[in-house]
Order: sequence, then C-alpha cells, then structure tokens
Amino acid sequence: MKKLDHNTIIFGIGNNGRQDDGLGWSFLALVETESPPFDLEYRYQLQIEDAELISKYENVIFVDACKTKIEGGFKLYPCVPEDNYSFSTHALAPETILYITKKLYNHEPNAQILAIQGENWDLKIGLSNIGEGNLVKAYEYFKDEILSKNFILNKNY
Amino acid sequence: MNSRKIVIEPVTRVEGHGKVTIKLDENGKVDDAFLHIVEFRGFEKFIQGHPYWEAPVLVQRLCGICPVSHHLAAAKAIDQLVGIDPDSLSPIATKLRRLLHYGQVFQSHALHFFYLASPDLLFGVDAPAEKRNVVAVATENKELAKKGILMRKFGQEMIKALAGKKIHGILAVPGGVHKTFMPDERDYFLDGKQIPNIDTMIEWSKEIVDFMKSYHAENAKWIDSFARYPSNHLSLVHKETGALELYDGRLRSIDARGKELMNIADIEYSYHFKEAVEPWSYLKFPYMKEYGRENGWNRVGPLARINTCTHISTPLAEAERKIFKAYTKDFPNNMTMHTHWARLIEMLHCAELMKELLLDDDIMGNDLVRKGTTRNKGIGIIEAPRGTLIHEYHTDDKGLITKCNLIVSTTHNNEAMNRGVRAVAKDVLNEKPEITEPMLNQIEIAIRAYDPCLSCATHALGQMPLIVQLEDFKGNLLDEKVRS
Repeated sequence: MKKLDHNTIIFGIGNNGRQDDGLGWSFLALVETESPPFDLEYRYQLQIEDAELISKYENVIFVDACKTKIEGGFKLYPCVPEDNYSFSTHALAPETILYITKKLYNHEPNAQILAIQGENWDLKIGLSNIGEGNLVKAYEYFKDEILSKNFILNKNY
Repeated sequence: MNSRKIVIEPVTRVEGHGKVTIKLDENGKVDDAFLHIVEFRGFEKFIQGHPYWEAPVLVQRLCGICPVSHHLAAAKAIDQLVGIDPDSLSPIATKLRRLLHYGQVFQSHALHFFYLASPDLLFGVDAPAEKRNVVAVATENKELAKKGILMRKFGQEMIKALAGKKIHGILAVPGGVHKTFMPDERDYFLDGKQIPNIDTMIEWSKEIVDFMKSYHAENAKWIDSFARYPSNHLSLVHKETGALELYDGRLRSIDARGKELMNIADIEYSYHFKEAVEPWSYLKFPYMKEYGRENGWNRVGPLARINTCTHISTPLAEAERKIFKAYTKDFPNNMTMHTHWARLIEMLHCAELMKELLLDDDIMGNDLVRKGTTRNKGIGIIEAPRGTLIHEYHTDDKGLITKCNLIVSTTHNNEAMNRGVRAVAKDVLNEKPEITEPMLNQIEIAIRAYDPCLSCATHALGQMPLIVQLEDFKGNLLDEKVRS
C-alpha cells in the first residue's frame, strides 16, 4: 500500500464515459506524466470517506468539469468548508467534504477548486474540441504557476 | 374525475435521479402514485458489436456505486463464452472473486446505512431537511460517522487491492482472474496497522446490528407498519443447502407467506421471467411468467435474501438471522423498513466471509485462469447489494456481442417501490390540505429502503437541483419549488 508521504492531494472528479465530464480525469492524466510530488486520486464522485483521506493532507485541489461558462475556459478558486448538504450523497460537494473533515477530524486544509468548462456530456468517450482546448489552457497554467513552483496559495487565480 | 399532481424531482439520497408523482383527485385524496425512472439504459445496445472480453470492463460504466457487481455478473457470463461454468472455474479464482464481491457488498451496505438511511432513523421523518443528511450525522454522531467511514473504506480498500482501483477496476478475465493476492496485501487487512482490521469490522458490524435491534425495539410501531405490504421474494440461494448465497446459486422465489413459487437453475431464468413496460417509466417490470404480471412480481435485495434462504453459513450472522426470523415467527418478513435490519445482518455476514477468505492461503495461489470449448451464449447472475442482477450475452462466431440483456436489481424492485410509494402516499397524504416536507420525505424513505440505483448521470459542478412541482389534472403547473 502507498504511504501518504506527500502533503498535497489532487482529486480528479468525473466520468470519462460522458465526454467532457472526464475533464477532471484527463487533467490528472496530464499531471501524472510529470511525476509530480503530489498524490493523485481519480473519483467518479466525491464520497464521504474522502473526508478521512483529506484529513491527512495540508493542500487539496479538486478538479472537475463545469457547465457554466467561464472566461478563459477554466478557473482556480479557494474552496472553504460549507454546511451545504447535498440532495444526493453520491455527489458530495467539495465544500461539504471539507466541512465533514473539519467536523470529524478537526482539520482544515488549504483547498482549491479547479473548474474546467466543458461543452458536451453525451455517453461517449472523448473530450469535445472546446473541452480539450480548455483542458490544455488549464494544464499549462497549472504547470507554470503551481507545478513548477511546487506550492499553492489559497487565493483566486 | 378532476385530479392534480404533485411532482418531486429528483428523489433525494438515492443513487441517481427519479421523480415521484402523486396524483390527487378533486377532493384532495390520493388517486394514484408513481415512481418514474428516467435513467438511460443504452448499454444493452451500446455494447453490441464489441468483443465479448470487453463486457466485464464496459458494463461497469453503468454505475459508480456498484461497478463490481456488474463486473462480476458480466464475468460469470463471459466465463461461459470461453467454456467455463461456475463449477469449472479454479477454486482460487472463485475465492478471489468472492472476496472482491464481499468487499463490494460490505462497502455498499455501509454506504447506504450510514450515509443514506441513518439520517432518517437518527433524526426522524419530521426533522427539517437540513438535518436529514449525512452532514448532520457527522456533526451530531461523530463516532458513528467515523466508524461508517472506516467500514466503507475497508470495503473500498479490498476492492482496490483486488481490482487495482476503487471504481471501475478489473479483477476478472474470461475464465478466471488476472491477479492473485500478495502476502503484504493480506497483512494490510489483518494486522490493523494502517486501517482497522477485519476483526474490528466484524465487531463494528455486530455493534450496528445491535443498534438496529435497539432502534427497532423503541420504534417498532413505525418501523413495522411503514410502507408494509405483502410480496413475493426472490434471490439466489446455495445450490445444495439453500443458505444465503451472494455469488452463485439457484434462483428461489417464495410468496408472502413462505410458499415456494420457483426454484430453478440460474441459467434458466429467461424461461421463467418476462418484463412488462409502462408508458410512464423507462424502467421495466419483471415478473414470473407462471404467475402473471399482477401476482408474479418480486422484491429483491437484503430483505428478500433473508426471507428466501434457509440459513446463513457464518455463525454471528446466523444468530442474528434467527432473531430476525423469530420476530415474524419464521414467516417471511414483509415489513419494508426491516430491509435496513436485513442489510446490516448481511454486512456482518460479509465481514465474517472476508475473514474466512483472508485466512485461506488459497487466495495467494496461482491457478488463476481456465479455458474450455467456446460457446455463443453466457448468463451471469449474482446477488448485488441491492438484489438479483442478471447479465446475458450472445456472440457471433468472431466473438462479437450480438445481443445483451441486463436485468438490474432496481428493475426487479420497480413494482415493489411503486407499491411502497402508493402505500405511504395513501397513508400520509390523504385528505391533508397541505403537502409538507416531512410528508414528502416519507415517500422518499419508502423508496430509499430499497437503496435504488437509478444510474449515474453527468455530475458537473453546479448541477444538482431539487425541483418540486404541483400540477393540475390538465398538467398545468400550479406550484414549483427548487432547492439547490
């Protein structure tokens, strides 16, 4: 079993069988090629046990596809614990997971959400052209501003 | 007669989205109630033309909650395409698949009880919406929540160890499995150094069953009567002994009083079942041909399994089954909310079974794959956490899939869930001038007892509203509430 010897974890959330819903996974696949000093976790959905996992880290980044139009195609922004219960626990929000981490484990990591705008969501493998373009832009930004410097600040980018 | 409709969409805390319509007549009485399932079921068509060996991998995409169940049901069917029946599979492969399956059922039952059902039980149906959720459980019952998390994690780690990852991993290949268990992997689950060990899982499972019994003793009136109705019960049972069986066995159905209706080899299912359709739901209604659409439908899942089996093979779960059965004087239990109790007995059983297998050196053996004479048809049936799951595949001589039929657990429970919705709607909504949230929640509780998996749609950021609509008999929108 892998030892938790890194202080940052990145969650790629989504489903690559649903076109651009796989943006989170595709992003992690790109990060993985760099052999970064981070732990990476692929998630179909965030589940409550992720609260226990997060309690072991200082930095958390959630990467997910977004349907809302974003200027520039992606956005990195702080994620803070929030008691916003979800209507369906199979899709716990990052804010809710952080809230549970804080409540159960008295731990509040520095957390960010990287939202990447997608376009198509059909039952099909493969990103749309727009999704692919936004993925590249998000990854280049991440590589230049975070990966190369190996740190992350809790602020809007 | 004039009628108006109240629509709840989606049903909260079930896996996927559904919609409930309660039709009221002009006097405010419940005219009828329906659970609409709008899941996309394109897989049976989607998979045609693919090589058979892709099936156990592709069909996992049906679901992010129970992909292992689809993986194993498909694998059992694909085994037959390469000439291997369940009894011909190597004992080592069978044990590794079973270990994977028990880990899956264990984590799924833990997920349902701690995160979906416990808010209803701990806070009651009249609690405000902001309290009927897992966040409130975590806030007010920290130790219970922490145990739930670690039990779920144990099952997920078992899946990861065997299948490579927690969701959509791969263990089974045609005719066997592709990997064995390593000593350090086994130690991880036995020594308790990194995660609570299997003995702790058994201890905690027993504690949760005890909690459920105490809860029942204090709330028997509600638990016993809520959404209660007679039904048939269907599940696999052990081929020789009739014991509770989750991976491979005969299909047995009994009626509400215990009379045996069917006891067949699982691969004969297609000769005994039909599927009816209704214009208001995408989900079909399976029933036993011999007994017809009205009398031939079954409940499946934990309650059905405890009803159809003769006993449980592990000692602690068997002791709990006897207590469970004694409450109904050994007759089948038709009390919907007792499904939660039955689910916890199964969770204990799975923990005991995992320990048996973890202590069996066979799981580290190397006789992993066998081959026989190829065939063009394979049927795989297992007991998924939510009930009987059927996969059937036909191939051409090139090994490409020409036909696929899937009957998932939630489909078997379609009629049962509709009966539950109707029973509760008529009980709590009749002649009430206002539709309150606790009343609506009771409808949802009746559905949640079956832990329905309505298949996962795309979940991107910012897309999870709850819409409540009120329509008149002509379909005009009278009122709408959106929670987001």
